[in-house]
Amino acid sequence: MQEDLLQRAVDLALQLGASYAEARYHKHSGASLAARNGEMIGYSESVREGVAVRVVAGGALGFSATSLLTWEGVRGAVEGAVKLAKAHARFMRRPIEFAEARLGRARYEAVAAKPFDSLDIGGKLALLSEVWDGVRSSVKEAKVLTVTARYSEDVEEKAVVNSDGAYVVSRVPRLTVSYNFVLAHPQKGTIQRTETFGGSGGLEQLEKWRVPEEAAGEAARLENVLLNGIAPPRGPVDVVVGSEIVGLIVHESCGHPSEADRIWGREAAQAGMSFIKPGMIGERIGGRHATVIDDPTIPGSYGFYLYDDEGVPARPRYLYREGVINEHLHNRWTAKLWGTSSNAAARAMDHNSEPIIRMANTYLAPGDHTFEELLEGVKLGVYMRSYMEWNIDDIRWGQRYVGLECYLIENGELTKPVRNPVLEVTTRSFYSSIDAAGREVRFEAGMCGKGEPSQGVPVWFGGPDVRLRGIPLGVVA
Amino acid sequence: MMREPVSEVAEKLVGEALRRGFEEAAAIVVRRESTMVKFANSEVSVVQRWSSLTVGLYLAKGGRILTTEVHPTGLEQVGALIDRALAAAEQAKPSFIYAPLPEPERVEPLPGLVDSAVVEAMADPSPLAELMLSSASGAERVAGALTLSYTERGVATSKGAKLEEASTGLEAYLRAFVGESSGQWAHGSRRLSRDAIRRVAETAVQLAEMAKGRPVDVEPGAYDVVLSPMVVGNLVNLVGMMASAMSVLMGTSIFARVEPGAKVASEKLSIYDDPRNPELLGSASFDDEGLPTSSKPVIEGGVLRTLLHNSKTAAKFGARSTGNAGLLFPRAWALRVAPGDAKLEEMVAEVKRGLIITNNWYTRLQNYVEGIFSTIARDAAFYVERGEVKHPVTRVRIADRLPKLLSSVEMVGRDLYDVSWWEVSPAVRAPYLLARGIGISRPTV
Repeated sequence: MQEDLLQRAVDLALQLGASYAEARYHKHSGASLAARNGEMIGYSESVREGVAVRVVAGGALGFSATSLLTWEGVRGAVEGAVKLAKAHARFMRRPIEFAEARLGRARYEAVAAKPFDSLDIGGKLALLSEVWDGVRSSVKEAKVLTVTARYSEDVEEKAVVNSDGAYVVSRVPRLTVSYNFVLAHPQKGTIQRTETFGGSGGLEQLEKWRVPEEAAGEAARLENVLLNGIAPPRGPVDVVVGSEIVGLIVHESCGHPSEADRIWGREAAQAGMSFIKPGMIGERIGGRHATVIDDPTIPGSYGFYLYDDEGVPARPRYLYREGVINEHLHNRWTAKLWGTSSNAAARAMDHNSEPIIRMANTYLAPGDHTFEELLEGVKLGVYMRSYMEWNIDDIRWGQRYVGLECYLIENGELTKPVRNPVLEVTTRSFYSSIDAAGREVRFEAGMCGKGEPSQGVPVWFGGPDVRLRGIPLGVVA
Repeated sequence: MMREPVSEVAEKLVGEALRRGFEEAAAIVVRRESTMVKFANSEVSVVQRWSSLTVGLYLAKGGRILTTEVHPTGLEQVGALIDRALAAAEQAKPSFIYAPLPEPERVEPLPGLVDSAVVEAMADPSPLAELMLSSASGAERVAGALTLSYTERGVATSKGAKLEEASTGLEAYLRAFVGESSGQWAHGSRRLSRDAIRRVAETAVQLAEMAKGRPVDVEPGAYDVVLSPMVVGNLVNLVGMMASAMSVLMGTSIFARVEPGAKVASEKLSIYDDPRNPELLGSASFDDEGLPTSSKPVIEGGVLRTLLHNSKTAAKFGARSTGNAGLLFPRAWALRVAPGDAKLEEMVAEVKRGLIITNNWYTRLQNYVEGIFSTIARDAAFYVERGEVKHPVTRVRIADRLPKLLSSVEMVGRDLYDVSWWEVSPAVRAPYLLARGIGISRPTV
């Protein structure tokens, strides 16, 4: 039924004078559960659905969304989008055009091996209570100030139809579990950790994540950091950056600056620009370990999709390859500007959102070292396993990561815990300083924000542990 | 349902929830029409229009709390969702935050929330887009956004509250580029003002012009900082989020270990939540529990005066609701910083070794309870020595503790600006501030 409505919308837009039209039915249905210190806060159900219409008319781009799923509602959206685009055509010096693309006519689905309803709400609440129990029982001296935990399930259903022949219907279930805890000590202050687990699929992921055990383990280790943490050494040292931080770094300093719309300036007043300028493909940004891939097709990933919201089939994108800027993230509009093909990066958060260029699952390619081998040969250094605070400037160059669970490395061995070391580097200094990478890639889940209005979309970011040579670390005062 | 008055829809949904077996219910129904013109490279990158009806339901039974959010296609669909929530209630546990919904109180209507000029401009915002672009003609290129909205918000509760309010909104912000330098400014209001739109563009261009020239690196260390209303707005929103009693309970607040009455900031600093001021973009006369909102100090003369409560957190803290209810989380409506008496030039003249930071983004925290944070300057920023602006500086970070920053405010500007953009949302009315001895950092490798 919806597909008929979408085709009708596309046809109407063309009749009204659009040179391109796209209609997307987009629905999120989900439930979530939150608890504080093992006690329930509330249970929430949500359904967000509607139709998004995007058109090019008079060379301008118009977008309109409605939650009215009748023909009357959708027709209003189509008329609104075309009218607004035409009214703003006079501002366009370069009319919007899309690159040719082979578009999908397909249906696909990510399958939950264990459906969400195979565990009742009591069972889901028990999971959150176990997080509280785990943290509480593993902390010995410090006081547990709060433990909040959240369970969330979502099914994203989409149907994309456009005037260039795309017809893609998809269904992706996603599961997310997160926790936040604060440990306090009268003399040592507080330490806080937030962690998120996420992926596509069903409850089978819980067996892999072992969230209560992870929370308990982290709480015990972070209590050690709180009680016994020392300041990081002064002066340049070797730094073994854990995969959790490596993943974030490649997301921030490779993925984002590789978004072609950002390079072009489309997000300049919001999510910012890029140090990468048009024409920089082939320029060196780091050493041979700097290979960063963004791959939407990883099964079970949080950022999983097989066709983007313009109907283009997805594939892995090699953004940096052995230290060289290799490929940007494109939709069909930027592909036309660059004279290339879209690599299927157009994604919208929901029916209220225009598809824009997004990352999916971004990671640094693995090397060949074991963790022990990364530590070997480090006389004095710091291993940064996790972080809380981070940020990067609006051209994706100067960035800061404040370590949370960190240890001193002395003569190749982890020794004392280190508190709040600050890794503040440029994109070039990070990718040029990697002298070895671990052999195991691990992923973290997150919501990435971009667009106006801001759209949060699920992504994975990951990589191996890496070793940097000769980096000065700061410390939180 | 799609055309009925929103309070009628809300009342119907409350009735439906009670009929299906819930003991208490509140419904928040929001119908919204909005249009946004987005600019980049001095062109229109996209024009967007939204038409939405959103229903939020708060449902309770036996102390169990269920909430739903739906863009409904009809009453039946909401009914099915309520039934699912009821089945969930059977399996859920009582909420630690449960308290009965409040008895309705008289809500004084708040006139002046709708400006018909905003509604008229929504059909074709291109003349305003033209105004914005032409007012920035001194820039090589600009990017930004202009948003117009009309919202009807209705609340009904099983205690008998039934309220409805319409409002309009304008948000305009622009980033102007001159060579390698840039400046950004923003404005948010309930009313349409062509002058305000023009000033946004002109201020952005002016800042970009001032920042021309080769920026210089500053050494990490402690500096005096003059923060623009854009930066103040961003940080005041963080304070507002932390002032929510729920943030205190969740361990995400610098107020987690202090009581109202404690000194938390410089005596020069006062921050109000002012929803009864119809000029402010966040103004509203009633909250999501149907209680009247009120204008009140959050921090006054440096003293924490109140957390922001709904009836649930109020019961937990032995306080009264402050009329800040969201479905579950209390939130600030319309924050404003009380003006001081300083002119911007007077503040700059007081700086011995410091920086003027006109815009920031990416504020993140290492620890919410201690307020350890950093945020990055973007656009025009300047190094000042002995009261004199010396040169533009490269992108630096403010990296310090929020309580220390609040306590270090020494001068407050007399002019106030209604700021609203990507990084200041909801809108804040803010002045320039001068704070002493604030940590500044940047990469040294």
